[in-house]
Amino acid sequence: MGKQFIPKITVFHCINVFGDGEFLLPPEKQDAAVEFIKLPCSSMVKDVFLLRAFESGADAVLVLVCPEGACRYVEGNLRAKKRVGWVKNLLDEIGLDGGRLALFNVAADDAAAVEQIIVQTLSQLADLGPSPAA
Amino acid sequence: MIVGEQKSIAEIKNIVSPYKKVLILGCGTCVKTCFAGGEDEVAVLASALRLAFKKDGRRIEVEEFTVERQCEDEFVQESAEAIARNESVLSLACGAGVQAIARRYEKTPVLPGVNTTFLGVLEKHGLFTEECSGCGDCQLAVFGAVCPFTRCAKKLLNGPCGGSQEGKCEVDPDTECAWSLIIYRLKLLGQLDNLRAYVPPKNWCASGACGPRKLIREDHVL
Amino acid sequence: MKSNSTGRLEKILTGGGFAVTAECGPPRGADAEVVRKKAEALKGCVDAVNVTDNQTAIVRMSSIAASTHLLAMGLEPVMQMVTRDRNRIALQSDILGAWSLGIRNILCLSGDHQTFGSHPEALNVFDIDSMNLLRMVLEMREDGKDMSGFELKTPPRMFIGAAANPFADPFEYRVIRLAKKIDAGADFIQTQCVYNMDRFRDWIHMAREEGLTEKVHIMAGVTPLKSEGMARYMAKRVAGMDVPEPLIKRMGAVPKSKASEEGVTICLETIAQLREIKGVHGIHIMAIEWEEIVGEIVESAGLLPRPQPES
Repeated sequence: MGKQFIPKITVFHCINVFGDGEFLLPPEKQDAAVEFIKLPCSSMVKDVFLLRAFESGADAVLVLVCPEGACRYVEGNLRAKKRVGWVKNLLDEIGLDGGRLALFNVAADDAAAVEQIIVQTLSQLADLGPSPAA
Repeated sequence: MIVGEQKSIAEIKNIVSPYKKVLILGCGTCVKTCFAGGEDEVAVLASALRLAFKKDGRRIEVEEFTVERQCEDEFVQESAEAIARNESVLSLACGAGVQAIARRYEKTPVLPGVNTTFLGVLEKHGLFTEECSGCGDCQLAVFGAVCPFTRCAKKLLNGPCGGSQEGKCEVDPDTECAWSLIIYRLKLLGQLDNLRAYVPPKNWCASGACGPRKLIREDHVL
Repeated sequence: MKSNSTGRLEKILTGGGFAVTAECGPPRGADAEVVRKKAEALKGCVDAVNVTDNQTAIVRMSSIAASTHLLAMGLEPVMQMVTRDRNRIALQSDILGAWSLGIRNILCLSGDHQTFGSHPEALNVFDIDSMNLLRMVLEMREDGKDMSGFELKTPPRMFIGAAANPFADPFEYRVIRLAKKIDAGADFIQTQCVYNMDRFRDWIHMAREEGLTEKVHIMAGVTPLKSEGMARYMAKRVAGMDVPEPLIKRMGAVPKSKASEEGVTICLETIAQLREIKGVHGIHIMAIEWEEIVGEIVESAGLLPRPQPES
């Protein structure tokens, strides 16, 4: 346990939720690594991308999609939701804990909500610990 | 199309566990369409297996390759180099594909990663239904093009059992009673008289009861 | 209908009588005494006793063996045979064996699906269906040949029965199916339990219009209800069963201790109505695990004593 755990989160997000926004984490959370990957639509997030994020060392993966009914491509966010559910099951099967992957509906440019989600994920990771496959 | 379903990660992990280098070999025809063994599924399974073994502190090399059809030797040949680099092959094709690979690469362990389930129809995106048993003696002309042999849980060829209610099968209320569908179709076609005809017992030899079946097209054999 | 099975059931039905049969489910065990006890309760009050064949797909003593126990007691069995568990070879072999043991009546069924029983993972056979089975038994009797066309030295000459469910869907097909079963070889029909009298009347009316009631002896099935719960269970959970809501309510309206009495009363009313219907040639009482009530029902219905046709 000697080494300090620096949690790593990969965030896939729809470009309609926010563009190239920088999220400043509160000072006490700044020792986390958060990587943002923007997609033209959240439905572009294929199952293999989510798994590869874990392969690249993520302790948690978040998928931020537009609110239901607000998808520019009608059902992109619904498809993303289904896919995330599928991969969560896969993670459970692997023994990685599907809880390390989550999807959130976020309104456009709601920076506070995004920050809140990340802070909440970090506190969950404090309990869960590092990914066993990281 | 042949419909298949990928085996669980646990089962796959178990059958590949003796090997350090595994080639996951996809098939780009039927199993691709039903999301069991095409290029995308190969990629997902490869990633999942790497994660699963890493979690256990084990390293495994997983290579990915997909051919057009594993049931045709012409396409199977394309995988020769990739197979030579690995200790075993995890085939995501139907059972026919698995055996075709094993036939060419005799000394390589070829493992099944998919459960081949049925001959089916893509009823809507993501929903596949069994409609044909490949019985070798198609009588759909009599049954309004609905197969009772496949779609009736009791394979009844002379009308519905006493458990058909509101068009549903007694075995599974989410399944349509094949005989309800047959009667519906025959009514539309004005062929209800078909129902009165006695259908004699089936000759099961044509269905495989007399050993594996073979089709020889003399005009194509040199 | 020219079987000459020499059985009592055939004599009564072909002689224009009103027949009474009951049901005896063999035990989930190997004790003949259980069969004898159930049979004892039926002795003298019915003309023949149906012996079920692994009913509801639960493993039980074989129908052929339990039928033999009944024979030894002087009761006439109707051996039920389902196509679920045996292929055509085994079915024919058992029919030959059954005849050799003195069994004279057979009821040809496809059988409850195995997913409802004790072995849901079993393979179902269904090599042939109930229609094919009827024809097979008929051809053994009429042509003296087995299914392969082989001439049998001593062919079985069974009196052949089939089941009919007037309450299953699609309704308009039910009479066509009945006609098919008669063509295939059925001498008598035992129906699913009648609770919905209106629907039963419609069905038999249609059968009569097609001249079927002259070609086959229809025996209407009845099952005395024991409780409101049983009525509800049968209505909801038993496939192909039609128990109208007012009947369930009627069972619920009496105190629990009087429920089985009410069930018997309903059963007697049903029998009385059935006897008035042209084309009904008998009743088949399926008192599930309640064989001891059959005598009382038959007596109260005024159907005793049973005729004793000379052999």
